[in-house]
Amino acid sequence: METLLFNLIWLIPLLTVIVCIPVPKTNTKLLKGIHTFSGSLVLALVGYLTYFVYAQGSAAVHESAAPLLLRFFTDIPWLQAFNVHYIVGADGLNMFLLLLTAVIVWAGILVSYNIKGNQKVFFALIQMLATSVYGVFMSMDLVLFFVFYEMEALCMYLMIAGYGSGNKDYGGKKLTLTLAFGSSMILATLFGIYFEGGVNSWSIMELSKVTLPMEFQMWAFPLMFMGFAVSSSLFPFHFWSPDGHASAPTAVSMLAAGVMMKMGAYGCLRVAMFLMPEAAKIWLPYVVLLLIFNVVLGPFIALRHKDLKYITAYSSISHLGLIFLGLAALTPVGLRGASLQMISHGFLTGLFFATIGMIYERTHTRDITQMGGIMRKIPFLGVGFVIAGFAGLGLPGFSGFVAESNIFIGAFQQGDTITRIVTILAILSITTTAVYILQTANRMLHGNMPAKYESLTDGCFREKLVIVVLVACLLLIGVFPGWISDLLDQSIAPIFAKISQAAAPVVGG
Amino acid sequence: MYSISNQLIPDLILLALPFLILIVRLCSKRTTVMPWRIANLGLIATFVMLNMIPLTNSEGAFFLSNWRVDDFGVLMREVFVLSGILGLWLAKDYFDHGADGKPALMHITEFMATLIFATFGGFIVVSACDMLTLFLGLEMATIPMYALTAWNKRDQYGSEAATKYILMGSVATAFELFGFSYLYGFAGSIHFSQIASATSAGTSPLLWIALLFIFCGIGFKLTLFPFYTWAPDVYEGAPTPVTAVLSVTSKATAIAFLVVLLYGPLAPVQDKIVPLVALLACTTLFVGNLGALKQSRLRRFMAYSSIAQAGYIMIALLGPGYISKTAIVYYLFVYTVANYLAFFVFGVIGHYRPESFNSLRGLSKQNTLLAVALAAAMFSLAGIPPLAGFFGKFHLFFSGATAGHYMVVAFAVLNNVLALYYYLQVIKSAWADEPEGELSPIRMVKRQRFVVIALLAATILLGVLPFVSNNVFTGFTF
Repeated sequence: METLLFNLIWLIPLLTVIVCIPVPKTNTKLLKGIHTFSGSLVLALVGYLTYFVYAQGSAAVHESAAPLLLRFFTDIPWLQAFNVHYIVGADGLNMFLLLLTAVIVWAGILVSYNIKGNQKVFFALIQMLATSVYGVFMSMDLVLFFVFYEMEALCMYLMIAGYGSGNKDYGGKKLTLTLAFGSSMILATLFGIYFEGGVNSWSIMELSKVTLPMEFQMWAFPLMFMGFAVSSSLFPFHFWSPDGHASAPTAVSMLAAGVMMKMGAYGCLRVAMFLMPEAAKIWLPYVVLLLIFNVVLGPFIALRHKDLKYITAYSSISHLGLIFLGLAALTPVGLRGASLQMISHGFLTGLFFATIGMIYERTHTRDITQMGGIMRKIPFLGVGFVIAGFAGLGLPGFSGFVAESNIFIGAFQQGDTITRIVTILAILSITTTAVYILQTANRMLHGNMPAKYESLTDGCFREKLVIVVLVACLLLIGVFPGWISDLLDQSIAPIFAKISQAAAPVVGG
Repeated sequence: MYSISNQLIPDLILLALPFLILIVRLCSKRTTVMPWRIANLGLIATFVMLNMIPLTNSEGAFFLSNWRVDDFGVLMREVFVLSGILGLWLAKDYFDHGADGKPALMHITEFMATLIFATFGGFIVVSACDMLTLFLGLEMATIPMYALTAWNKRDQYGSEAATKYILMGSVATAFELFGFSYLYGFAGSIHFSQIASATSAGTSPLLWIALLFIFCGIGFKLTLFPFYTWAPDVYEGAPTPVTAVLSVTSKATAIAFLVVLLYGPLAPVQDKIVPLVALLACTTLFVGNLGALKQSRLRRFMAYSSIAQAGYIMIALLGPGYISKTAIVYYLFVYTVANYLAFFVFGVIGHYRPESFNSLRGLSKQNTLLAVALAAAMFSLAGIPPLAGFFGKFHLFFSGATAGHYMVVAFAVLNNVLALYYYLQVIKSAWADEPEGELSPIRMVKRQRFVVIALLAATILLGVLPFVSNNVFTGFTF
């Protein structure tokens, strides 16, 4: 029963699109109703399934999914000509990422009520994007995974080009082409993994049981890792993210920064590191060097920007850098921290972009020097923005603190000197984060208010609901991290076991 | 119900069809629609009959073993007929009314007959068992295209394009025949089985010279680098429906020709030809992609896009026959659907505006169906999942990777990013750009709406639904 419900997660958005085809595009009320209902339905469904996974604990996982502790395991032959199967399943990590996606999609639908243009197509595209992200976090077959992973490029471009603001074609193209570049690197390595693996299967579980040849891993791992890292905006492939976010409509920014950028980090962990642990041990120390840009310089760039979306985009870049620091640490605590950060950053950046979108709808500018003192007029939105900022700089009580402390502890456990130095730099860079968050909040929300903002109104019930739910999620993880990290530990254990079992690599062999 | 000898029925229907409609046209009034109905009926009947031939491993050989009906042949016939039907439907609008109320093209019966002859040329190519039949098929597929290109007599660009096409085409044909003659000199026979035994017995410089000339000739028809330069001019000069047929039927014929040769008489030396194929594939797709980047007119753009697609199809030829053939057949289906979908959209717009990128502006606000269809067609051609184009390219790359050509596959995959850029340019015009001034209205007749919806559904579903590849291709062995 639960397995069936689980498979519905990615089907419901698609069905919603089909249901909406006969609805005339002028009847926006009905369209919004259907899409909001569908979003809430998936949210409820994922919430129930997460609770189900939590209640079951480690008991009775599906055996044919070994070594991963997957539930709701489904395996149906799909494209038999190449042994491609429809394999889906979820462990704790997948479940929480799905929950995050469901919340962000739900919030994204709610904040898009006033989008200009053809709303029918816009909501359909949001649902297709949701399908893509759900699919990525569910699928355990590499081809299925890639199909869902690449699908997002299609929806993202249409949404940014059709409904964005500013230099939308430039931003959209930059984003789509950079992501497509990343996916093409992944696709090229996928063929290699299939043929070098020699088990005639694209299943992640089957492939994890073989050790890929070392010569192959040595070139395939960096290609694949960087391919995934493109969508998580790891330096030097971070450049798409600020322009892309700046021209995207609010819901797209939320989905892109909140969930889609996690797909890359998730892919690094689940596919690249899990299938090629030997090469991961060799290459990840070099990745740490790239992180210096993300973690240390990212906040400084954010400091100099005036556009709210650019500030948030660079803040995302620095937070995603921390995920990679956790991954590169190669310790259980570091991996747990990275997974926690994926989830925590999803909520907080979703909150960031949601409030920015709401403020922009009222002030029609995102330039913080043009604003000032609007806290008096829109206290609710202002507080939401400040909370997002505080969560971002890792204030205890919010999820950011839990995730970041785990990452720093995990990274410091790694004896490597360079990793330790980068860790210390990363901890120090939190100060920079604090500076730009406070500076932005100060300039935008306090001080003298320009006269034109006298007529601003605070958020309506719909907007308040979005903010309250996102803040609640941040607090929930921050105050009760135990139940979530237990499940995450369970799902990370097989990945870490595979990495620690990996034979000491022979360099230059 | 359907015995082996009846495998010839589709071929016979298609061969009789052009004569039938010409006779009906002669015997009836000027305004008659009978030939149009008969042609449609005949093509659909051919398609249905083809689907009733069971896909088994058996080869039907007829007429002193000079005519063969195998699985690859049957599926390729389906591609040709599908392209023929869609081409006719696309052309019909040009005979009905044009931008200024006057029809753009005249003499629909003769047009249909010529088109069906070209389709039959494809049938001959996939059925050939000797070099003479093969050559006959290739020419039969090409010569009607010369006439179709110049169908609009009042259009000087069409005549120019046809002149260019026929001059270059005849040179290419001469090269090809020269290659054939050397192949005959090498093997001492024109029959495939004897050439195959000669090539497996050993090679000689004569064989390589023959191959080089044959590749020159076919490179022209398949628009491979460096023989592609005619394509943009001809595609732009020809009437839109003819361009669509050119980019599908004649490309499919040429690739079928290569498959028939490489996995037939030349199979023993296939591994030695592979470097040449890899080189041609990589250069062609790269040049096609580069050329398409800066185009502003739609048909010229589609010409470069189809050059690049030819390069992608060539990658499948690197692999072993059983995968390569399925990959090519499947990709051609997908390519036919996506290409015709794009051309139908261009055709609808072309009735009211010039066929350029600027005419697409504001399409997403004016007509959602056309804008979505255009986006689907472009994304499918670019190979973005979950559209059929991705699965088609996946087949092609899989075929190349099976033989271990990772570097070629990686090059092609990375080139996809380049391809995505220019396909996005089209989508950008339709989705992002604001229209200049008032938009002229766009109307679709029932047939156009039906075809656009059907092709859109096919573009989305063809790849995702597993039974298409499973049921067709698991029974499809060699």
